Amino acid sequence: MNKQSLQKSAGSGLVFGIIVIFLALIGFTVVFSGLIQKVLGQSLGVGQIPSISNFFIFLGFLGIWNGWRASRQDKHETLTLAKVLMRAAVAGLSAGVLVMLYGFVVGGLDARGTDMRKYLSMLSSDSIKFFLFNQSLVLGGLIHVGFSTLMALVGGLLAFGSERSQQQVRTNRTKIQKWSQSTWLGKVQGNPYVTYVLMGIVLLLLVLLPRTWGAYWNYVMGTVGIYVLLGLGLNIIVGLSGQLVLGYVAFFAIGAYTFALTTSPEPHNLVWNFWIALAVSVVAAALSGILIGLPILRLRGDYLAIVTLGFGEIIRILLKSDILKDFTMGPRGVRNIAGPTLFGRSFTSDVDFMYLIILAVLLSIFLAKRWQESSIGRAWLAISQDETVAQATGVDTQKYKLLALSLGAAFAGLGGALFASRNQFTGPEDHALMVSINVLVLVIVGGMGSIPGVVLGAFTLKGLPEILRELESYRLLVFGALLVVMMIIRPEGLWPARRPKLEVPVGQDNEPVPLPATAGGEK
Amino acid sequence: MKMVLEARQVSKIFGGLVAVNKVDLIVPEGSIASIIGPNGAGKTTLFNCISGFYTPEIGDVLFNGRKIQGMLTDKVAAMGIARTYQNIRLFKNMSAVENVMVGFEPHLKHGWMTAMLKTPDYQKEQKYVINEASRLLHYVGLAGLGDNLALNLPYGAQRRLEIARALANQPKLLLLDEPTAGMNPQETDEMKDFICHIRDDLGITIILIEHDMRVVMNISDQISVLDYGQKIAEGNPKEIQANPRVIEAYLGPGAAALSEKYRREKTHDA
Repeated sequence: MNKQSLQKSAGSGLVFGIIVIFLALIGFTVVFSGLIQKVLGQSLGVGQIPSISNFFIFLGFLGIWNGWRASRQDKHETLTLAKVLMRAAVAGLSAGVLVMLYGFVVGGLDARGTDMRKYLSMLSSDSIKFFLFNQSLVLGGLIHVGFSTLMALVGGLLAFGSERSQQQVRTNRTKIQKWSQSTWLGKVQGNPYVTYVLMGIVLLLLVLLPRTWGAYWNYVMGTVGIYVLLGLGLNIIVGLSGQLVLGYVAFFAIGAYTFALTTSPEPHNLVWNFWIALAVSVVAAALSGILIGLPILRLRGDYLAIVTLGFGEIIRILLKSDILKDFTMGPRGVRNIAGPTLFGRSFTSDVDFMYLIILAVLLSIFLAKRWQESSIGRAWLAISQDETVAQATGVDTQKYKLLALSLGAAFAGLGGALFASRNQFTGPEDHALMVSINVLVLVIVGGMGSIPGVVLGAFTLKGLPEILRELESYRLLVFGALLVVMMIIRPEGLWPARRPKLEVPVGQDNEPVPLPATAGGEK
Repeated sequence: MKMVLEARQVSKIFGGLVAVNKVDLIVPEGSIASIIGPNGAGKTTLFNCISGFYTPEIGDVLFNGRKIQGMLTDKVAAMGIARTYQNIRLFKNMSAVENVMVGFEPHLKHGWMTAMLKTPDYQKEQKYVINEASRLLHYVGLAGLGDNLALNLPYGAQRRLEIARALANQPKLLLLDEPTAGMNPQETDEMKDFICHIRDDLGITIILIEHDMRVVMNISDQISVLDYGQKIAEGNPKEIQANPRVIEAYLGPGAAALSEKYRREKTHDA
């Protein structure tokens, strides 16, 4: 048992102690225990302190994590039971003692009648008592120490067990593979019908869910859908062609405003048909992609990012300004934007609109997939990996970069038009910088250049905060923590892009395919 | 004989440094021409002038009689000049076969519309590209490795993949920048044979930058020696080996006399 590894365990325990103290200081312990209580099916009134048992569950999680972390210090060493228990105990003890000291301080101050809420709004007398398990100062502190050590030991044992089982798996890997191939599991994998059935189930869900889950979820999922559209577009620009465009919201705004101005009675009284206006918005956004693209063709990397950032802001400020007030209504925004109509029947209910968004998303995924898997997609990837070499290999980089910008912008235009139509309103503040950042983050979180990644990323970024609404004001904290954890566990994104298998075997009987009439020869 | 490449008085200046100084280079069709010289002599700069990376300040570069200086590199590639790089520059996160497929780009006619609709012509073209790329991989000896990511390939395979990508351009002139750098003697021998094969099978003219003298002296029809941006000698391998200026450029002033003395002593002893 060397001293260094114990010091390390103690250090990691102290970090966990600090985390517990921090969470207690901001009142998160109470809120999260309340959430556990709700999840377990017990009711909890607003402002009510949850029961102590839930606090134990919360502390238990952290304690087990602490023990797990502390006992696995080096990936390559083989763990022994004594080593693991020693480390876990040290980590648990150090965390517990630190927490106990904190309990003494706040508990003591509270007992003297100091009102801590003057300094930290969450630190009420009730929450401090809750932190000490409604026990006396000393007893509460000792319970913290004991429980922390106990849970750390459990965590250590878990780590030990998982390490052992992983070793077993490693030695038995081929056995397991053979077994899984012989059972139904192996037969199911790689069977095309399974994919069709899964796709059928997803389609059925897409048809049924909007009818059943109510207006609120239709609104949330509609937003997710619109962000999927935006993500697909930015994925082409950033993920595939590798141009870091930060002003993506400009295309979104152009789509939304084109749609708004052509369908709203104010300010121009052009009440166009929904579908024509939709198509015009998409085309307008695509053209704006080319227009913005032309001057920035030569820019790369940071410079491109900064210039496009400026473009995004220019569009927003122009929309807000007095110069265009007669044309775009200025900061008031455009109201009474038309909803969709089909054969004279207007369908503006939330369910109908959800279907429209689902349709748009499916169509966009189909198109994005086609482009991504084509020669165009390969040329984009080549440009993103080494633009100089791609050009010297004969890729017309200017053409492909413009193509990426305009196709990406077209998706944003579609998203913008649907967004404006659904809200029946659009104003300059709908098109702030945060939209660009959000879309960029969802593309990165999902996995650059991966279409399923975009969908997952949109759900994570736009859906998860809604699900986390239970956590009230802490949801952004939890959300941020989740993002950090995710980037540590899966730095390449939730669903990273894989390259397709393309090589065909070459043999004697493999004659060269004759060149089609359109291909080959001099250009 | 038809000249594939003619460089006339090419000069490239970086600030105060004349990297290439009035170099003439004439390469006949179907030959292997080597450019040698000490480090920093301007060999790669000359390559960059030929392949369109740089525009020479003075002088003309003619490819099949047409001026190509000032053209964008993708246009130069489409005309039939392909190249490889001193430090391997593959599209690392794409599979090997995809790397080669990108090389076909200047000869393809697809567009965003045809790719979206998957027209029969487009599908035919894609099939052609996949097939030809696989055949090229087979040709350079990488059959079966095509679905690996380029960065996962061993070093020698990466060099070959770079050549396969260049060949996919269907070039008439191939510029190889130190193709045997970092290879062991056996790999070097294989690469040497392979370069001869490319010339003989495909009829591609090759210009080579190379430090390994066994390779250069074995396969070159013509050798040009650069030093401090100037061409100091040109000729067939025999002439270059005996040229005192070349020896001095490599080994320092006075080296030619020493080498002459050494040779005399040797013949005297015998």
